[in-house]
Amino acid sequence: MKFIENIGLVFITSFSNLGKFILFIIFFFKYLFNPKFYFKNNILYFINILISSIPIIALTGIFSGMVLALQSYTGFSRFSAESAIPNIVVLTLTRELGPVLTGLMISARVGSSIAAEIATMRVTEQIDALKTLNANYYNYLVTPRVLSLTLALPIFVTLVDFIGVMGGYIVSVHRLGFNDNSYLLNTIDFLSLSDYLSGVFKAFVFGFIISIVSCYCGLFSEKGAFGVGSATTNAVVISSILILSSNYFLTELFF
Amino acid sequence: MKIEVKNLKKKFSEEFVLKDISLTIEKNKSTIILGQSGCGKSVLIKTIYKLFNFDSGSILYDGKSEVDIDKFSMLFQYGALFDSLKISENIAFTDFINNKTNFEKKVISLMNDVGLDKSIFNKFPSEISGGMKKRVALARALYKNPKVIFLDEPTTGLDPINSDKINELILKVITNRKITAVTITHDIKSAIKTGDHYYFIYKGIIQDMGDCKKILKTKNKVFKSFIKGADIKQ
Repeated sequence: MKFIENIGLVFITSFSNLGKFILFIIFFFKYLFNPKFYFKNNILYFINILISSIPIIALTGIFSGMVLALQSYTGFSRFSAESAIPNIVVLTLTRELGPVLTGLMISARVGSSIAAEIATMRVTEQIDALKTLNANYYNYLVTPRVLSLTLALPIFVTLVDFIGVMGGYIVSVHRLGFNDNSYLLNTIDFLSLSDYLSGVFKAFVFGFIISIVSCYCGLFSEKGAFGVGSATTNAVVISSILILSSNYFLTELFF
Repeated sequence: MKIEVKNLKKKFSEEFVLKDISLTIEKNKSTIILGQSGCGKSVLIKTIYKLFNFDSGSILYDGKSEVDIDKFSMLFQYGALFDSLKISENIAFTDFINNKTNFEKKVISLMNDVGLDKSIFNKFPSEISGGMKKRVALARALYKNPKVIFLDEPTTGLDPINSDKINELILKVITNRKITAVTITHDIKSAIKTGDHYYFIYKGIIQDMGDCKKILKTKNKVFKSFIKGADIKQ
């Protein structure tokens, strides 16, 4: 009997949390379209995310492109299709690896920091203080983070795409002996705008997922150091799972 | 503002934290809420402040159930200062977030009132001491000229000398500005020094009440045990 009760409890808690999360998203949009817009706060947060994340994004891009070129060569050389490497590198990066890897890295870099920051604010009563000072925490905390990350991720993905292609170019030309001009020409000729835009659209969705999940985990964290730790872990784990699963449906959409 | 709380009940999950609270906070007086940690003191003042909803009972503000919470202010237990903002921005937060920039004069005047040197104007909360943080938090609470100020354990984490200084400061501020004050504390010395009237809460129920100057003459056994610092047994 106890076992059945526990199963029931798990279901009730899960549905209750899902309901809370959906309400949270509804309230986000309600305050977004009925805003007391803290312009300075939004801009500062956007710039902060951009500057602090560029190094990690650059590293992700260059190494992904380099590895992709090497691994493609290993497979393609078996049936003499090495000439397709520039095409594979650019296609894989723009349509798939760019948005997904960027999403996962940003979830770890920015999502965790959003969740930890807001959870700490909750633990130290700063969220209550905001309410007493007539500041709506959706407007002051959630909107800048969600807007900034949703708009920043496409920029990051564009950067990863570009740097990744350059990484593939460096390895292909200097390690695998490709002709530099023909590599670049192949890349540019093969890439279509829709490939790039499908990746950018994914980036918008992933940016929204990471930021909204991280804000939710922070705002509804439990109290104490344990609560902050759990909020951070949950933000990264839930965002990553949602990125990977929604990636399939988005890929189907652009297939 | 006079606040009347009648038969207030508040529960979290299935557990009642406030079981049946009735009390009156008199206008321009200092009311002290005493009790052990976890007895529901903070929940009570946050419910009065409308930060929490309640399950049953009533709260009347000058006889009305509705109130503009802009008339309230709160000093949080650990200050709750915003780490990413400067001291001046913390104090003038309500103006700062609305992009008003002419708050310098008012902030310096408040810093002077609460005994803060203006050299910390551009510092961040992490760069100042615990006692200073309490003063900054008090200045922030006073910035919007509240009619009622809620003080959640204002001397927690301070040494006896700084506790005394903060108590004197609170007394001076609420007397000079004619503010209704509601203070949560478990420090009897602070209660006697800064309060007019006290309520003692134990397990979500008011066990004792009276004049702060007569706290030590209480007949209530539970409250006597609390004062002596012994384990409370009923």
